[in-house]
Amino acid sequence: MEKIRLGLIGLGYIGKIHLRHCQRLANAKLMAASDLSKKALKIANDAGVKKTYTNYEQLLRDSDVDTVIIALPTHLHTQCAKQAAEAKKRIFLEKPIARNIKEAKEIILAARKNNVKLMMGYPLRFNPAFCKLKERIDDGTLGEIEIANATYISTGPFMHRAEAHTPLPVPEWWFNKELTGGGTLIDLGSHVINLLRWYFGEIINVKSHLGYRFNLDFEDSATCIAKFEHGTLGVINVGWFSQGYHLKIGLHGSVRSFSANHSPSNPITTVIQTLTKGYSKFHEGHFIELQHFVNCLIKDRSPSPSGEDGLGDLQVIEQAYRNQIRIDQP
Amino acid sequence: MRNLQTVDGIFLSLVSFAQIKNSNITETIDDSLDLINHEFPENIQNVVIKPNLCYYWDYTTGQTTDPNFVAALIDLLRTKISPNLEISIVESDASAMRCRYAFKMLSYEKLANSYNVNLVNLSEDQYETLCTTAGTYSFKIMVPKTIQEADLRINVPKIKYTMEPIKLTCALKNIFGCNPYPQKFKYHSKLGEAIVAINKAMNFNLHIIDGVIVSGIQPRRLGLVMASTDPVAIDKAAAEIAGLNPKTIKYLQLAKKEGLGNTTFIPKGEPLEYFKSKYPKKNLQAKLMSKAYSIAVQTGLSKKLGLE
Repeated sequence: MEKIRLGLIGLGYIGKIHLRHCQRLANAKLMAASDLSKKALKIANDAGVKKTYTNYEQLLRDSDVDTVIIALPTHLHTQCAKQAAEAKKRIFLEKPIARNIKEAKEIILAARKNNVKLMMGYPLRFNPAFCKLKERIDDGTLGEIEIANATYISTGPFMHRAEAHTPLPVPEWWFNKELTGGGTLIDLGSHVINLLRWYFGEIINVKSHLGYRFNLDFEDSATCIAKFEHGTLGVINVGWFSQGYHLKIGLHGSVRSFSANHSPSNPITTVIQTLTKGYSKFHEGHFIELQHFVNCLIKDRSPSPSGEDGLGDLQVIEQAYRNQIRIDQP
Repeated sequence: MRNLQTVDGIFLSLVSFAQIKNSNITETIDDSLDLINHEFPENIQNVVIKPNLCYYWDYTTGQTTDPNFVAALIDLLRTKISPNLEISIVESDASAMRCRYAFKMLSYEKLANSYNVNLVNLSEDQYETLCTTAGTYSFKIMVPKTIQEADLRINVPKIKYTMEPIKLTCALKNIFGCNPYPQKFKYHSKLGEAIVAINKAMNFNLHIIDGVIVSGIQPRRLGLVMASTDPVAIDKAAAEIAGLNPKTIKYLQLAKKEGLGNTTFIPKGEPLEYFKSKYPKKNLQAKLMSKAYSIAVQTGLSKKLGLE
C-alpha cells in the first residue's frame, strides 16, 4: 500500500501537536519538517524526523515529500499553500484558510489548477463527542433543531496556552490585525462556525456583537446570531478572555435537547497520558483528522473539510464583521 | 526612612492591614498609611509607581495589580502631596511579556491618558550600572534613570505563589521586575540573591500591597490593603497570610541579613489571622503538583511533556 510521505511546515503551538500525531499515523511517514526556529527543529529531530529545514521552500523542493501539513501563522498561508500546490504537494492546511476571502480563493484556485488535494484542519469535525451530535441530528432523535448554542471560550494567544504551566512568549504577529485577519471570531469562531455549517448547512444571515476587553484593535470576544438555511438559529459565543477552557455545543430540537462538550483532562491525567502514550487525549480530534486526510489520499477521495468549506467559514465571518450590532447604548 | 516602633528597646517595622469598606480604595490606602504613621516627605516632585504586571493576565486573575488600585493611589498622592506631581508607572519587558502590549491590554494606557501620568518601559529607559552583592554573589545591576531620579518610589505588589523555588512573589520579588534586562530567566539559578541585589540597588521607599483580589490556588476577592516602608517585614506578613512558613523562604532571610529590613514586625489594623483564614491557600493536591512540577523542571521532563 502507498505510504504518504509527509512534510510538516511550522512547528509552533499547533505544529508541535501535529508532530506528535504524525508518529502514530498509519500509512504515512513524516519525512521532513521546517521552521525558522532551530530549537523547534531540534524537537523534530528528537522525535525522529531526519530532515529539517529552516526555509519551507527547501522542504517543498524535497522529492521525498509528497504531502505537506501547513501550520504557519495565518498571514503566511496563501504564499505557502500556493507554492506547495505549484510543487504538486497535497496540502493539509490549518484553519483559518487565510486572512480574507481573496486570499482563500487564490489558495483554492492554486490547488485546483495543479490538481492537488486540499483539506482544512478543523479537528472539532473529528472529535468523537461532536460526531455523536451529528449522528443524533441526522437520525432524527432530536427532531428539528430550533436553537443551537455554541460556546468556545479559551485562553487565547495572550493567556496560558492550554498545555503550558508557565507563560509562553506571544509571537508578534498575534498582535497585528493585518497579519491575523481578525480576532477571536476568526480564531475560535471559525471552528464552531465550521462545525455548525456541517450540522445545519449554509448560514443565510449573521449578526455580531464584538468585545474589546483587552483594548486591542481586534475583538477578543464575540456573540453572533446566525440563521441557517433550514431554519435553525445559531447562537455563537467565543472569547479569549478566560484562563479556563470551555467548549460546548447545545442543541435544542423539537423532540429533545442534547449537548456535547470538550474539556481538557486534569493535569495529572494529561501527564500520565503523555508519558505512557506520547500524546494526550485532549487533541485526539487532531489525530483523527490527519488520519482521515491520509486515508483520503490513499483511496484518492476528496478530503473534507475542503478548501471551499474554509472559504465558506470566512465568508460568514466577514459578514459577521460587517453586520455588527451595538447594545452598549440605549 | 522606615516607620519603626520600639519594643523593649528594639526597633521593629510597622505593617498595616486594612479592609476595603464601601468600595473606596483611596480611603483604605490612606487608612493603611495612617496605621503605620506614614507621612510623605516634603519637596517631592516626581514619583515612581511599580505595579506588578505579569504576562497579559488582567487584574481579575489576582496575578496583576488592578489599574483602579493604582488610580486610587494616584488620587491620594495628588491630594496629599501636590496636584502637579509628576508620576511614572514603570514596568520592564520579561521573557514572555512585552510592556507595550501589557500596558495596553491591562488598561494602564487608558489610566495614563485619563490621569495624565507617564508609562515607562524600563527596558527602553537609560540606565546606570551599579555593582552590588547579595550573599556570596556579585551582581551588575542596571538601574533605570526613571527610578534613579524619582523622589519617591512606591511598590504596589500582589501576594502570589510561584512555581519557582522562591515560593512567594510579593514586595521584594516585584522590584526584581524593575530590572530592565528582559531575559530574566538568566537569573533563575540564583534568583533569591538577584532579588535581594536588585532591591539594594533600587531602594523603594514605600510598599503598598494590592490584596483586593488575590490569586492563591484560585482568585478570591480579599479586599485587603497592606502598607509598610519595610519590604522584608511586609513580605513576611504576606507569607503568613498565604500560609507559607517564612523561614523556608530563603531570600527573606538573606534580605534581612543584607539590611533591607526586619523579619519581625508590629501588625497594625485588622488582624492578620482574619486575612490568613480567607486566603485561598494551597491544598495537598496543589502542593504535590508544585513539587512534581519543580522536579519535572529540574530533570528536564517538563520540556519533554510540553509543560514549559
